[in-house]
Amino acid sequence: MDIDYLSDTIAYIAMGAGVTLKVFFVTLIFSIPLGIICALGKLNRAKALRGIPGALLRGILGGYTWIFRGTPLLLQLFFTYYGLGILSGGRIAFSPEMAAYLTFVFNYAAYFTEIFRGGIQSIGKGQYEAAKALGMNPWLTMKRIILPQAVKIILPPLGNESINLIKDTALCSVITVTEILRNANRVMSRDFNISALVIAAAIYLLMTFVVIQVFRRLEKRYAYYNIR
Amino acid sequence: MEIVKAVKLHKYFGKLHVLKGADFCANRGEIISVIGPSGSGKSTLLRLLNHLEIADRGSIRIDGQYIAKENAEGRSEYLSGKEVLKICSRLGMVFQGFNLFPHRSVIENLMEAPMMVAGLSKSVAAEKAEVLLGKVGLTDKRDAYPGQLSGGQQQRVAIARALAMDPEIMLFDEPTSALDPELIGEVLNVIKNLAAEDMTMIIVTHEMNFAREISDRVVFMDDGAIRATGTPDEILVNPDHPRIRAFLQKIVRA
Ligand SMILES: Nc1ncnc2c1ncn2[C@@H]1O[C@H](COP(=O)(O)OP(=O)(O)OP(=O)(O)O)[C@@H](O)[C@H]1O
Ligand SMILES: [Mg+2]
Repeated sequence: MDIDYLSDTIAYIAMGAGVTLKVFFVTLIFSIPLGIICALGKLNRAKALRGIPGALLRGILGGYTWIFRGTPLLLQLFFTYYGLGILSGGRIAFSPEMAAYLTFVFNYAAYFTEIFRGGIQSIGKGQYEAAKALGMNPWLTMKRIILPQAVKIILPPLGNESINLIKDTALCSVITVTEILRNANRVMSRDFNISALVIAAAIYLLMTFVVIQVFRRLEKRYAYYNIR
Repeated sequence: MEIVKAVKLHKYFGKLHVLKGADFCANRGEIISVIGPSGSGKSTLLRLLNHLEIADRGSIRIDGQYIAKENAEGRSEYLSGKEVLKICSRLGMVFQGFNLFPHRSVIENLMEAPMMVAGLSKSVAAEKAEVLLGKVGLTDKRDAYPGQLSGGQQQRVAIARALAMDPEIMLFDEPTSALDPELIGEVLNVIKNLAAEDMTMIIVTHEMNFAREISDRVVFMDDGAIRATGTPDEILVNPDHPRIRAFLQKIVRA
């Protein structure tokens, strides 16, 4: 095993790391706002959402989070990539990467919905009442009082999910997305040695290390006060 | 001149009939203490005036403007949420549990609504906040966070925060009930100073000496309605109502 072989292997797997990072960031960028919106939808008790419209909305959102959290991510990837094509008689056909983005965004948004919902619900009703008594409307209250406090609560679970996300991106290899693990696997089966796997593991460790550090910083930023 | 007028208020929590036709009014500049046994509906009455709860029946007027009016079937019908919020912004409220914003410093707590709701500039809001902090004796705590303050200090900040919106009426719901005995005095003193400024105040309290000293009028609530109203002496010193006597005896013993 020489230096050239190693550097070639590393370069090849690093190409996969670019794809992995793309899936990672696309998922976070789209699923976090989607999760916030769904959480607010689940919690909204506005007048317009009393009765049937509200029940319908909560039913749809409940079904959505149940399906995406209640079935394997791998199955969802197969469904988006192969299943939709079969169902639509070939009219819907996503590229492997597009199928990965879509599945991951909706899957992670389902988890984030529940995390945000829990975070928002953990803020006591006294905060809403104080804001209202000061003349703040529901939108201002959410934006200025509730969400900033909820962020502090959801940071730890959000960090956990982000670490899971890095590792989950490996599942994309089964729908032929050329991410880290797929490239490593190809090298391994071609050359029949495990250095590629070790390199892949090292890259994953590096990525999760960075995520852990980022969240540690964020949590520190919010450590200046306690919610009691 | 009645600045608050509530007529025949009824409130249900599910099947529980909590307010049973409560009539309440306050004149401009009047200081009213509301007393009565636990569960008699004192907090509920206060919260209805401020739209933190919705009345089922009856009407509520603030300075002549209806926020809730009885319709033909006798149900309370409210103005739109926006309109109610606007009218109710003339009332400030102080809660038993303070409810300060824990993620904001003391001065930011006082600046939040003036900037976001009243549209004051940051510098004007800050100036105003400093004046109010001076008034409640907490200038040196301007940059502290609520979690770093004693209960008495937190409640004084909460009073200043409510005053920052220039309310014409202040509602206090047992402002000292969550405090250690040695911290009660500092909060009551702040409220007494306000009383000297002709603010209309409605105070739910179990502090009978304080109520006697500060009030123009004392209102006794029992079982979801106002059962007696009169001067502090009439209600607190020589009550002829047997329920009031029983209530006062219980408090003294406690
Ligand atoms: N949000 C609510 N849901 C259900 N029941 C409620 C609610 N708020 C108040 N109640 C009930 O309504 C009744 C009156 O409550 P309220 O808080 O107005 O009494 P209070 O006179 O303020 O008593 P206290 O002196 O203990 O504060 C009580 O039986 C209480 O349990
Ligand atoms: Mg009460």
